Amino acid sequence: MKIDCSIDGKTLTLSLNSNKPLSLILSENIGDGAAVNHCRGDMCGLCAVLVNGKPMLSCMVPAFEIRGKEIITFESFQKTRAMKDIEKAYELVGAAPCRECYASRTMIFESLISDGVSEPEEIIKELSIVRCPCMDTEDEVNIVLKAIDIRRKRRVRRS
Amino acid sequence: MYEGLSSPNIHTPHNMAEFSSIITHYPSSTMWAGGTYIMTRPDAYPSKVMNAEIIFLGEIEELHRFQRNDRFAEFGSMVTLDEVMSVGKAVLPKVLTDNIREIGSRLITRRATLGGAISTKGLTTSFPGTLVALDANVEIRMIKKKRLHSRWMQLTRLLDRNGTISLPPQSMISRIRIAFTDKNCQFFRSTGSFMTDPENAMSVSFTASLDQDVLNNPTIAFTYPSHGILYSRDIDNVFSSLRFPLDESERRNLEMIIFTFIDSSFQDLSDLQKIRTKGMLRAIVDELNEKTLTMPVQD
Repeated sequence: MKIDCSIDGKTLTLSLNSNKPLSLILSENIGDGAAVNHCRGDMCGLCAVLVNGKPMLSCMVPAFEIRGKEIITFESFQKTRAMKDIEKAYELVGAAPCRECYASRTMIFESLISDGVSEPEEIIKELSIVRCPCMDTEDEVNIVLKAIDIRRKRRVRRS
Repeated sequence: MYEGLSSPNIHTPHNMAEFSSIITHYPSSTMWAGGTYIMTRPDAYPSKVMNAEIIFLGEIEELHRFQRNDRFAEFGSMVTLDEVMSVGKAVLPKVLTDNIREIGSRLITRRATLGGAISTKGLTTSFPGTLVALDANVEIRMIKKKRLHSRWMQLTRLLDRNGTISLPPQSMISRIRIAFTDKNCQFFRSTGSFMTDPENAMSVSFTASLDQDVLNNPTIAFTYPSHGILYSRDIDNVFSSLRFPLDESERRNLEMIIFTFIDSSFQDLSDLQKIRTKGMLRAIVDELNEKTLTMPVQD
Protein backbone atom coordinates (compact mmCIF):
# COMPACT_ATOMS: atom_id res chain seq x y z
CA MET A 1 0.00 0.00 0.00
CA LYS A 2 1.39 3.43 -0.97
CA ILE A 3 0.98 6.10 1.67
CA ASP A 4 1.74 9.82 1.38
CA CYS A 5 2.51 11.61 4.60
CA SER A 6 4.80 14.21 6.06
CA ILE A 7 7.31 13.06 8.65
CA ASP A 8 9.43 15.74 10.34
CA GLY A 9 8.63 18.19 7.58
CA LYS A 10 9.61 15.86 4.74
CA THR A 11 6.87 14.76 2.37
CA LEU A 12 7.25 11.05 1.79
CA THR A 13 5.59 8.34 -0.24
CA LEU A 14 6.03 5.04 1.57
CA SER A 15 5.24 1.54 0.41
CA LEU A 16 4.00 -0.22 3.54
CA ASN A 17 1.83 -2.94 4.95
CA SER A 18 -1.47 -1.19 5.61
CA ASN A 19 -1.67 -2.11 9.29
CA LYS A 20 1.97 -1.55 10.18
CA PRO A 21 2.20 0.53 13.40
CA LEU A 22 3.71 4.00 13.10
CA SER A 23 6.30 3.12 15.77
CA LEU A 24 7.70 0.41 13.46
CA ILE A 25 7.49 2.67 10.41
CA LEU A 26 9.57 5.26 12.23
CA SER A 27 12.21 2.82 13.42
CA GLU A 28 12.41 0.51 10.37
CA ASN A 29 11.48 2.65 7.37
CA ILE A 30 12.63 6.08 8.52
CA GLY A 31 15.52 4.97 10.74
CA ASP A 32 14.47 7.20 13.61
CA GLY A 33 16.51 6.14 16.65
CA ALA A 34 14.40 8.15 19.09
CA ALA A 35 11.23 6.24 18.20
CA VAL A 36 12.12 3.85 21.02
CA ASN A 37 10.61 0.38 21.15
CA HIS A 38 7.55 -1.36 19.86
CA CYS A 39 6.00 -2.63 23.07
CA ARG A 40 3.47 -4.98 21.40
CA GLY A 41 0.50 -4.00 23.49
CA ASP A 42 2.30 -3.43 26.75
CA MET A 43 1.21 0.23 26.66
CA CYS A 44 4.55 1.50 27.96
CA GLY A 45 3.85 5.01 26.69
CA LEU A 46 7.37 5.48 25.36
CA CYS A 47 6.54 6.11 21.73
CA ALA A 48 4.60 9.39 21.74
CA VAL A 49 4.77 11.51 18.59
CA LEU A 50 2.75 14.49 17.43
CA VAL A 51 0.24 13.65 14.69
CA ASN A 52 -1.25 16.88 13.32
CA GLY A 53 -0.08 18.57 16.53
CA LYS A 54 -1.79 16.12 18.88
CA PRO A 55 0.22 13.62 20.92
CA MET A 56 -0.42 9.99 20.08
CA LEU A 57 1.19 6.69 20.92
CA SER A 58 2.78 5.71 17.62
CA CYS A 59 2.30 2.00 18.37
CA MET A 60 -1.47 2.57 18.19
CA VAL A 61 -1.54 4.37 14.85
CA PRO A 62 -1.73 2.03 11.84
CA ALA A 63 -0.14 2.98 8.53
CA PHE A 64 -3.46 3.59 6.75
CA GLU A 65 -4.35 6.28 9.28
CA ILE A 66 -1.26 8.43 8.64
CA ARG A 67 -2.21 9.15 5.04
CA GLY A 68 -2.01 12.91 4.52
CA LYS A 69 -1.07 13.56 8.14
CA GLU A 70 1.83 15.57 9.50
CA ILE A 71 3.99 13.66 11.97
CA ILE A 72 6.56 15.30 14.21
CA THR A 73 8.97 13.03 16.06
CA PHE A 74 11.39 13.93 18.83
CA GLU A 75 14.26 13.77 16.31
CA SER A 76 13.12 16.97 14.62
CA PHE A 77 11.39 18.50 17.62
CA GLN A 78 14.62 18.64 19.64
CA LYS A 79 16.06 21.16 17.17
CA THR A 80 13.23 23.65 17.65
CA ARG A 81 12.93 26.74 19.84
CA ALA A 82 10.03 25.11 21.70
CA MET A 83 12.40 22.39 22.93
CA LYS A 84 14.66 25.07 24.44
CA ASP A 85 11.71 26.25 26.58
CA ILE A 86 11.18 22.76 27.91
CA GLU A 87 14.89 22.24 28.56
CA LYS A 88 14.97 25.52 30.46
CA ALA A 89 11.97 24.37 32.52
CA TYR A 90 13.78 21.09 33.30
CA GLU A 91 16.74 23.12 34.52
CA LEU A 92 14.68 25.50 36.65
CA VAL A 93 12.63 22.74 38.28
CA GLY A 94 15.74 20.62 38.75
CA ALA A 95 14.19 17.47 37.33
CA ALA A 96 14.26 15.85 33.93
CA PRO A 97 13.02 12.55 32.51
CA CYS A 98 15.44 9.62 32.28
CA ARG A 99 16.99 8.62 28.93
CA GLU A 100 14.33 5.91 28.39
CA CYS A 101 11.30 8.19 28.48
CA TYR A 102 12.92 11.54 27.62
CA ALA A 103 11.60 11.69 24.05
CA SER A 104 8.06 10.54 24.81
CA ARG A 105 7.57 12.61 27.94
CA THR A 106 8.98 15.71 26.24
CA MET A 107 6.54 15.34 23.33
CA ILE A 108 3.61 15.09 25.76
CA PHE A 109 4.95 18.09 27.71
CA GLU A 110 5.05 20.03 24.45
CA SER A 111 1.40 19.27 23.64
CA LEU A 112 0.35 20.35 27.15
CA ILE A 113 2.40 23.54 26.94
CA SER A 114 1.14 24.50 23.48
CA ASP A 115 -2.47 23.91 24.63
CA GLY A 116 -1.77 25.97 27.78
CA VAL A 117 -3.04 23.24 30.10
CA SER A 118 -2.37 24.41 33.66
CA GLU A 119 -4.75 22.20 35.66
CA PRO A 120 -2.50 19.87 37.73
CA GLU A 121 -5.08 17.07 37.52
CA GLU A 122 -5.16 17.27 33.71
CA ILE A 123 -1.37 17.33 33.48
CA ILE A 124 -0.97 14.29 35.72
CA LYS A 125 -3.70 12.41 33.84
CA GLU A 126 -2.17 13.09 30.44
CA LEU A 127 1.29 12.02 31.58
CA SER A 128 0.02 8.92 33.36
CA ILE A 129 0.34 7.02 30.08
CA VAL A 130 4.15 7.01 30.46
CA ARG A 131 4.80 4.03 32.70
CA CYS A 132 8.42 4.96 33.51
CA PRO A 133 8.56 5.88 37.21
CA CYS A 134 11.55 8.22 36.93
CA MET A 135 9.60 11.45 37.57
CA ASP A 136 7.59 12.84 40.41
CA THR A 137 4.08 14.07 39.50
CA GLU A 138 4.77 17.33 41.33
CA ASP A 139 7.84 17.91 39.16
CA GLU A 140 5.82 17.15 36.02
CA VAL A 141 3.23 19.78 36.95
CA ASN A 142 5.96 22.31 37.80
CA ILE A 143 7.75 21.70 34.51
CA VAL A 144 4.59 22.34 32.48
CA LEU A 145 3.72 25.48 34.46
CA LYS A 146 7.29 26.81 34.23
CA ALA A 147 7.51 26.09 30.50
CA ILE A 148 4.17 27.83 29.85
CA ASP A 149 5.52 30.85 31.71
CA ILE A 150 8.83 30.81 29.82
CA ARG A 151 7.04 30.56 26.47
CA ARG A 152 4.64 33.37 27.33
CA LYS A 153 7.52 35.66 28.35
CA ARG A 154 9.43 34.81 25.18
CA ARG A 155 6.42 35.69 23.03
CA VAL A 156 5.89 38.98 24.91
CA ARG A 157 9.58 39.89 24.40
CA ARG A 158 9.34 39.09 20.70
CA SER A 159 6.21 41.18 20.19
CA MET B 1 10.44 -6.09 8.07
CA TYR B 2 7.22 -7.90 7.10
CA GLU B 3 6.57 -5.88 3.95
CA GLY B 4 6.60 -9.04 1.87
CA LEU B 5 3.58 -10.47 3.70
CA SER B 6 0.13 -9.82 2.40
CA SER B 7 -1.15 -6.49 3.56
CA PRO B 8 -4.79 -6.24 4.69
CA ASN B 9 -7.10 -4.44 2.29
CA ILE B 10 -8.44 -1.26 3.79
CA HIS B 11 -11.92 -0.10 2.84
CA THR B 12 -12.89 3.41 3.87
CA PRO B 13 -16.62 3.95 3.28
CA HIS B 14 -17.75 7.58 3.36
CA ASN B 15 -21.41 6.89 4.05
CA MET B 16 -23.67 4.07 5.16
CA ALA B 17 -24.58 3.10 1.59
CA GLU B 18 -20.93 2.47 0.79
CA PHE B 19 -20.56 0.59 4.06
CA SER B 20 -23.46 -1.71 3.24
CA SER B 21 -22.06 -2.48 -0.21
CA ILE B 22 -18.60 -3.29 1.24
CA ILE B 23 -19.95 -5.47 4.05
CA THR B 24 -22.10 -7.35 1.54
CA HIS B 25 -19.05 -8.09 -0.61
CA TYR B 26 -16.75 -8.90 2.32
CA PRO B 27 -18.95 -10.31 5.09
CA SER B 28 -16.04 -11.51 7.24
CA SER B 29 -14.16 -8.21 7.30
CA THR B 30 -12.91 -6.61 10.52
CA MET B 31 -14.47 -3.32 11.54
CA TRP B 32 -11.99 -0.72 12.65
CA ALA B 33 -13.09 2.15 14.90
CA GLY B 34 -10.32 3.77 16.99
CA GLY B 35 -8.05 0.74 16.88
CA THR B 36 -7.00 1.08 20.54
CA TYR B 37 -7.78 -2.57 21.27
CA ILE B 38 -6.70 -4.11 17.96
CA MET B 39 -3.36 -2.30 17.88
CA THR B 40 -2.47 -3.25 21.45
CA ARG B 41 -2.78 -6.98 20.79
CA PRO B 42 0.66 -8.64 20.63
CA ASP B 43 -0.27 -10.31 17.32
CA ALA B 44 -1.74 -7.19 15.70
CA TYR B 45 1.14 -6.91 13.25
CA PRO B 46 2.01 -8.69 11.05
CA SER B 47 -1.49 -9.90 10.25
CA LYS B 48 -1.64 -13.70 10.35
CA VAL B 49 -4.83 -13.83 8.31
CA MET B 50 -4.35 -14.04 4.57
CA ASN B 51 -6.47 -11.64 2.50
CA ALA B 52 -7.68 -9.79 5.59
CA GLU B 53 -10.23 -7.08 4.93
CA ILE B 54 -10.55 -4.08 7.21
CA ILE B 55 -13.41 -1.59 7.10
CA PHE B 56 -12.25 1.70 8.60
CA LEU B 57 -15.32 3.52 9.93
CA GLY B 58 -13.57 6.81 10.64
CA GLU B 59 -14.63 8.44 7.36
CA ILE B 60 -18.39 7.93 7.82
CA GLU B 61 -19.52 11.40 8.79
CA GLU B 62 -22.83 10.18 10.19
CA LEU B 63 -21.07 8.17 12.89
CA HIS B 64 -19.28 11.26 14.23
CA ARG B 65 -22.46 13.20 14.98
CA PHE B 66 -23.89 13.79 18.40
CA GLN B 67 -26.97 15.61 19.58
CA ARG B 68 -28.76 16.16 22.82
CA ASN B 69 -32.06 17.45 24.06
CA ASP B 70 -33.51 17.76 27.55
CA ARG B 71 -34.16 14.03 27.87
CA PHE B 72 -31.21 12.23 26.31
CA ALA B 73 -27.88 12.50 24.55
CA GLU B 74 -27.31 10.60 21.33
CA PHE B 75 -23.81 9.81 20.14
CA GLY B 76 -22.59 8.35 16.88
CA SER B 77 -20.51 5.24 17.44
CA MET B 78 -17.33 6.92 16.17
CA VAL B 79 -17.51 9.75 18.70
CA THR B 80 -14.38 9.50 20.81
CA LEU B 81 -14.50 9.32 24.58
CA ASP B 82 -12.68 12.65 24.72
CA GLU B 83 -15.42 14.25 22.60
CA VAL B 84 -18.07 12.74 24.88
CA MET B 85 -16.42 14.49 27.83
CA SER B 86 -16.10 17.78 25.99
CA VAL B 87 -19.76 17.96 24.94
CA GLY B 88 -21.58 16.72 27.95
CA LYS B 89 -19.44 16.74 31.07
CA ALA B 90 -22.03 18.82 32.94
CA VAL B 91 -25.16 16.98 31.83
CA LEU B 92 -24.08 13.38 31.34
CA PRO B 93 -24.62 10.87 34.16
CA LYS B 94 -21.81 10.87 36.70
CA VAL B 95 -21.28 7.13 36.33
CA LEU B 96 -20.39 7.62 32.64
CA THR B 97 -18.06 10.57 33.13
CA ASP B 98 -16.36 8.74 36.02
CA ASN B 99 -15.86 5.75 33.74
CA ILE B 100 -14.19 7.88 31.07
CA ARG B 101 -12.02 9.62 33.68
CA GLU B 102 -10.90 6.24 35.04
CA ILE B 103 -9.36 5.36 31.68
CA GLY B 104 -6.71 7.95 32.28
CA SER B 105 -4.66 9.73 29.66
CA ARG B 106 -6.26 11.63 26.81
CA LEU B 107 -3.79 9.92 24.51
CA ILE B 108 -6.12 6.94 24.80
CA THR B 109 -9.48 8.69 25.14
CA ARG B 110 -8.73 10.78 22.04
CA ARG B 111 -8.61 7.58 19.97
CA ALA B 112 -11.01 5.22 21.72
CA THR B 113 -14.58 5.46 20.42
CA LEU B 114 -17.89 4.70 22.11
CA GLY B 115 -18.91 2.13 19.51
CA GLY B 116 -15.52 0.44 19.62
CA ALA B 117 -15.61 0.28 23.41
CA ILE B 118 -18.94 -1.56 23.27
CA SER B 119 -18.27 -4.00 20.48
CA THR B 120 -14.66 -5.04 21.12
CA LYS B 121 -14.23 -8.70 20.29
CA GLY B 122 -12.46 -10.94 22.78
CA LEU B 123 -12.51 -8.46 25.65
CA THR B 124 -15.25 -6.66 27.52
CA THR B 125 -14.39 -3.09 28.40
CA SER B 126 -15.97 -1.29 31.32
CA PHE B 127 -18.28 0.77 29.05
CA PRO B 128 -21.00 -1.72 28.20
CA GLY B 129 -21.45 -2.34 31.94
CA THR B 130 -21.89 1.37 32.58
CA LEU B 131 -24.27 1.73 29.65
CA VAL B 132 -26.28 -1.25 30.92
CA ALA B 133 -26.51 0.44 34.32
CA LEU B 134 -27.79 3.56 32.54
CA ASP B 135 -30.29 1.53 30.50
CA ALA B 136 -28.82 2.90 27.25
CA ASN B 137 -30.28 2.14 23.83
CA VAL B 138 -28.26 1.43 20.72
CA GLU B 139 -29.10 1.57 17.06
CA ILE B 140 -28.01 -1.52 15.19
CA ARG B 141 -27.47 -1.33 11.43
CA MET B 142 -27.55 -4.73 9.81
CA ILE B 143 -27.63 -6.28 6.38
CA LYS B 144 -30.68 -8.39 5.66
CA LYS B 145 -31.35 -9.64 2.16
CA LYS B 146 -28.64 -7.31 0.83
CA ARG B 147 -30.38 -4.27 2.30
CA LEU B 148 -29.36 -2.12 5.23
CA HIS B 149 -31.84 -2.20 8.09
CA SER B 150 -31.77 -0.25 11.31
CA ARG B 151 -33.22 -1.11 14.67
CA TRP B 152 -33.11 0.52 18.11
CA MET B 153 -32.82 -1.78 21.08
CA GLN B 154 -31.80 -1.80 24.71
CA LEU B 155 -28.16 -2.68 25.22
CA THR B 156 -29.16 -5.34 27.74
CA ARG B 157 -30.84 -7.23 24.89
CA LEU B 158 -27.48 -7.62 23.18
CA LEU B 159 -26.04 -9.44 26.19
CA ASP B 160 -25.82 -13.16 25.54
CA ARG B 161 -25.94 -15.90 28.14
CA ASN B 162 -22.19 -15.55 28.81
CA GLY B 163 -22.50 -11.84 29.51
CA THR B 164 -20.76 -10.69 26.36
CA ILE B 165 -22.16 -8.27 23.80
CA SER B 166 -23.09 -10.22 20.69
CA LEU B 167 -24.09 -8.42 17.54
CA PRO B 168 -25.88 -10.10 14.64
CA PRO B 169 -23.57 -11.01 11.72
CA GLN B 170 -22.83 -8.19 9.25
CA SER B 171 -24.04 -5.54 11.65
CA MET B 172 -22.67 -2.60 13.53
CA ILE B 173 -23.68 -0.18 16.28
CA SER B 174 -24.27 3.20 14.71
CA ARG B 175 -25.74 5.30 17.51
CA ILE B 176 -25.90 5.18 21.29
CA ARG B 177 -28.67 6.94 23.19
CA ILE B 178 -28.10 7.72 26.85
CA ALA B 179 -31.05 9.07 28.81
CA PHE B 180 -30.38 11.77 31.40
CA THR B 181 -31.14 10.24 34.73
CA ASP B 182 -32.22 11.84 37.99
CA LYS B 183 -30.91 8.93 40.04
CA ASN B 184 -29.04 10.43 42.97
CA CYS B 185 -26.74 7.44 43.67
CA GLN B 186 -24.27 6.79 40.91
CA PHE B 187 -21.15 4.83 41.47
CA PHE B 188 -18.38 3.64 39.18
CA ARG B 189 -15.19 1.95 40.31
CA SER B 190 -12.62 -0.01 38.40
CA THR B 191 -9.53 -1.85 39.58
CA GLY B 192 -6.72 -3.37 37.61
CA SER B 193 -5.88 -2.76 33.98
CA PHE B 194 -8.51 -4.00 31.51
CA MET B 195 -6.00 -3.98 28.65
CA THR B 196 -2.86 -5.42 30.21
CA ASP B 197 -4.26 -7.55 33.05
CA PRO B 198 -7.76 -8.69 32.01
CA GLU B 199 -7.62 -11.80 34.21
CA ASN B 200 -7.59 -9.76 37.40
CA ALA B 201 -9.29 -6.49 36.49
CA MET B 202 -12.95 -5.73 37.14
CA SER B 203 -15.33 -2.80 37.37
CA VAL B 204 -18.73 -2.09 38.80
CA SER B 205 -21.36 0.44 37.69
CA PHE B 206 -24.26 1.19 39.98
CA THR B 207 -27.17 3.61 39.69
CA ALA B 208 -30.17 4.05 41.98
CA SER B 209 -32.42 6.63 43.59
CA LEU B 210 -32.12 6.84 47.33
CA ASP B 211 -35.31 8.26 48.78
CA GLN B 212 -36.13 8.17 52.50
CA ASP B 213 -33.56 5.43 53.19
CA VAL B 214 -34.98 3.15 50.50
CA LEU B 215 -33.34 2.41 47.15
CA ASN B 216 -35.54 2.77 44.08
CA ASN B 217 -34.75 1.46 40.59
CA PRO B 218 -31.29 0.13 41.42
CA THR B 219 -29.22 -1.22 38.53
CA ILE B 220 -25.86 -2.84 39.06
CA ALA B 221 -23.49 -4.32 36.49
CA PHE B 222 -20.21 -6.05 37.24
CA THR B 223 -17.72 -6.26 34.38
CA TYR B 224 -14.95 -8.84 34.15
CA PRO B 225 -12.91 -8.15 30.98
CA SER B 226 -12.09 -11.74 30.11
CA HIS B 227 -15.53 -13.09 31.05
CA GLY B 228 -18.19 -10.52 30.38
CA ILE B 229 -20.84 -8.47 32.12
CA LEU B 230 -22.79 -9.74 35.06
CA TYR B 231 -26.16 -8.06 35.01
CA SER B 232 -29.30 -9.58 36.40
CA ARG B 233 -32.72 -8.23 37.35
CA ASP B 234 -32.55 -10.57 40.34
CA ILE B 235 -29.52 -8.73 41.76
CA ASP B 236 -31.29 -5.42 41.20
CA ASN B 237 -34.29 -6.78 43.11
CA VAL B 238 -32.08 -7.80 46.02
CA PHE B 239 -30.91 -4.19 46.28
CA SER B 240 -34.35 -2.66 45.86
CA SER B 241 -35.74 -4.45 48.90
CA LEU B 242 -33.06 -3.05 51.21
CA ARG B 243 -33.46 -0.28 53.76
CA PHE B 244 -30.33 1.69 54.52
CA PRO B 245 -28.13 1.99 56.53
CA LEU B 246 -27.14 -1.68 56.54
CA ASP B 247 -25.34 -3.20 59.48
CA GLU B 248 -22.49 -5.68 59.20
CA SER B 249 -24.63 -8.86 59.18
CA GLU B 250 -27.00 -7.45 56.54
CA ARG B 251 -24.04 -6.47 54.41
CA ARG B 252 -22.60 -9.99 54.68
CA ASN B 253 -25.98 -11.42 53.73
CA LEU B 254 -26.13 -9.21 50.66
CA GLU B 255 -22.58 -10.20 49.73
CA MET B 256 -23.51 -13.87 50.00
CA ILE B 257 -26.59 -13.54 47.78
CA ILE B 258 -24.67 -11.62 45.13
CA PHE B 259 -21.77 -14.07 45.17
CA THR B 260 -24.21 -16.92 44.62
CA PHE B 261 -25.26 -15.17 41.39
CA ILE B 262 -21.67 -14.44 40.39
CA ASP B 263 -20.57 -18.04 41.01
CA SER B 264 -23.44 -19.41 38.98
CA SER B 265 -22.63 -17.11 36.04
CA PHE B 266 -18.82 -17.01 35.99
CA GLN B 267 -17.25 -20.10 37.55
CA ASP B 268 -13.62 -19.32 36.77
CA LEU B 269 -13.10 -15.84 38.19
CA SER B 270 -9.64 -15.34 39.65
CA ASP B 271 -9.23 -15.03 43.42
CA LEU B 272 -8.18 -11.42 43.01
CA GLN B 273 -11.32 -10.62 41.03
CA LYS B 274 -13.44 -12.17 43.78
CA ILE B 275 -11.65 -10.16 46.47
CA ARG B 276 -11.98 -7.02 44.40
CA THR B 277 -15.70 -7.65 43.86
CA LYS B 278 -16.15 -7.99 47.62
CA GLY B 279 -14.28 -4.73 48.15
CA MET B 280 -16.44 -2.95 45.57
CA LEU B 281 -19.65 -4.20 47.16
CA ARG B 282 -18.44 -2.99 50.52
CA ALA B 283 -17.59 0.41 49.01
CA ILE B 284 -21.08 0.70 47.50
CA VAL B 285 -22.78 -0.21 50.78
CA ASP B 286 -20.52 2.19 52.71
CA GLU B 287 -21.35 5.01 50.32
CA LEU B 288 -25.08 4.32 50.54
CA ASN B 289 -24.86 4.11 54.34
CA GLU B 290 -23.02 7.40 54.44
CA LYS B 291 -25.52 9.02 52.12
CA THR B 292 -28.45 7.82 54.23
CA LEU B 293 -26.91 8.98 57.49
CA THR B 294 -25.95 12.40 56.19
CA MET B 295 -29.17 13.12 54.29
CA PRO B 296 -31.11 16.08 55.72
CA VAL B 297 -34.27 14.98 57.55
CA GLN B 298 -37.44 16.00 55.72
CA ASP B 299 -40.46 17.34 57.60
